[in-house]
Amino acid sequence: MVQGEESSWRMASAHDHERAAVHLNQAALPYHGGVQAHASAALPASFLDFQPAAAAAAYFGELEEALIHGAANAGGVGHHPGSMITSDMHSAKSAAAGYLAARPPTLEIFPSWPMRHQQQLHSGNSQQSVGSTTDSSSARNTMAQMELVSPGPASSIRPSPPSSSEQQPQQQRQEVMMVTTDDYSYKPAFAPPPATLAAAPSFQQQLQLPLHGGDHDKRKHGLARKDGKLVDSKTERRLAQNREAAKKSRLRKKAYVQNLETSRVRLQQMEQELQRARSQGTFLGGCSGSGDLSSGAAVFDMEYARWLDDDGKRLAELRGALQAHLVDGNLGLIVEECMRHYDELFGLKEELARSDVFHLLTGSWATPAERCFFWIGGFRPSDILKILIQQLDPLTEQQLMGIYGLKQSSEQAEEALAQGLQQLHQSLADTVAAGTLNEGAAVPNYMGLMAIALDKLASLEGFYQQADNLRKQTLHQMRRILTTRQAARCFLSIGEYYRRLRALSNLWASRPRENFIGTDSLSPTGTELQGLHHQPQQNQFSGF
Amino acid sequence: MQYAAEQAWYMPMGPAAAASSMESAVARVDVSSCCMCHAVKRLFCGMGVHPTVHELDLDPRGRELERALARLVAGFGAFGSAAPVVPVVFIGGRLVGAMDRVMAAHINGSLVPLLKDAGALWL
Repeated sequence: MVQGEESSWRMASAHDHERAAVHLNQAALPYHGGVQAHASAALPASFLDFQPAAAAAAYFGELEEALIHGAANAGGVGHHPGSMITSDMHSAKSAAAGYLAARPPTLEIFPSWPMRHQQQLHSGNSQQSVGSTTDSSSARNTMAQMELVSPGPASSIRPSPPSSSEQQPQQQRQEVMMVTTDDYSYKPAFAPPPATLAAAPSFQQQLQLPLHGGDHDKRKHGLARKDGKLVDSKTERRLAQNREAAKKSRLRKKAYVQNLETSRVRLQQMEQELQRARSQGTFLGGCSGSGDLSSGAAVFDMEYARWLDDDGKRLAELRGALQAHLVDGNLGLIVEECMRHYDELFGLKEELARSDVFHLLTGSWATPAERCFFWIGGFRPSDILKILIQQLDPLTEQQLMGIYGLKQSSEQAEEALAQGLQQLHQSLADTVAAGTLNEGAAVPNYMGLMAIALDKLASLEGFYQQADNLRKQTLHQMRRILTTRQAARCFLSIGEYYRRLRALSNLWASRPRENFIGTDSLSPTGTELQGLHHQPQQNQFSGF
Repeated sequence: MQYAAEQAWYMPMGPAAAASSMESAVARVDVSSCCMCHAVKRLFCGMGVHPTVHELDLDPRGRELERALARLVAGFGAFGSAAPVVPVVFIGGRLVGAMDRVMAAHINGSLVPLLKDAGALWL
């Protein structure tokens, strides 16, 4: 019977290639992942390359050796990972072959072995009681393994009809199957196998026939029948367990994928919200790089950038006007423009102070060099006056008196404000430290304490307003004391002074240090880096 | 340290009859803190002026005084709604205003003459 089929194998090999390809593709469908597809794609090609007879025989000899070697290793129920590794390649091939052989009649993978022969092989295998694990699961696993190892072993699987006795292929098959089951036991961590296990329940019944859990020695004693009813209880239990494991892993995978999807969607939403918030806070060419600016602060930064642009234009205008020796009337107009320009800035700052005074106080809108001279969120009036006194040399006696008086008044006012601020600091510190700090937030009047501290913090806004007011009044008074021409030079001096401070900040930022932009640790001044991080266009900014 | 919410009254207003003296007298009772009042106190101390202090906390009619003052000060262009009413300064019986007005007056150079006229400051 078998010999007759031998020849039929050879003859059928040609047109069975296509059938095999089709069947293999069908086989691949119920299985997960692209590995199967890959394997299925690889297998038909390999079949097409099939060289019957001679090459097959040569290969078959090799395979036989490998199988025997693998079979020897596969003795017993235990795990022999070491030995399996050595014969891994061979076992993979044989595993694939074995799996293919163990397919139900509907899936004909080996083209040279027609379906009825395979069925007979199954029965024959059952007689010979395939070796060790003989689980249908293992057979499926070998399919997975075949997929994983894909084209190499797959292509090498040549269902060569044995030129020699018919027993060998059967033997081979059984050994292959035995080896395949061993593969399963050796690689229990395969994820696909459980999946494939569950995915091919239909195979179970039919594959249970020839496969038995058990020993290599049992090979000679077939237990399973083709009817699919008589299955070893141990096998059945194990099959059920495998099914459960496969189901669980499928559910886990589904849950994980769902989780990923929802997270992705949420991330997209958050990004959109962030974009919207940013676009609301910054109009054109927003300068605020950091994301923790309040909307008011972001608006202020933008307006301030615009103010600086205007400031540059005013300075140029002033310079031109002074050099052109304009009539006082025209110059006066320009000076008034400058004064209004500064008032505009004070207005901006006052507006922001109502919502976010700390942005102004910390001075993140100013360049680092300017921040060195910060006094309650801006310039110190007496400092400016000291600078100006040197610049405005030809002053009348009255003007000198006026300027020095102004300087003294501003110093007194500054001192008063500074004292008040110091008082506020002390009071705030006392409030926050009230009670025992060791108990953390468990102090009974914690919320009351916080409320008082909040009030005190709110009065900080008042101090900032007063400081800004002082600055503004100082400028106005100075304008009143000086003549138009002197005032023009005064505004020019102030503008140039701050432009130089900004340039200084730029130079400081770009002085040769390795990897300045990237590293924080190299900077000697932490505040400068903060300023630079906050202001990529820092050459525009000044702290007026 | 705790400071009372003070006002420095040089000359009492009509409705604030409780405040009396035209002389500068120093009277200060510490109840609650107002740091801006401390600032204005420092300002005057720096100039050598010692105003009479009236604390709204201790005054039994403090609430209505505060409201009256708020009405008075509001017309003087005080900063925003969050600015506290106190400190309010009267010089020579006339209202000068809240802190910002006092500051502006000082920078203007108008504060010192006012003080001199009121007799609170001597050269």
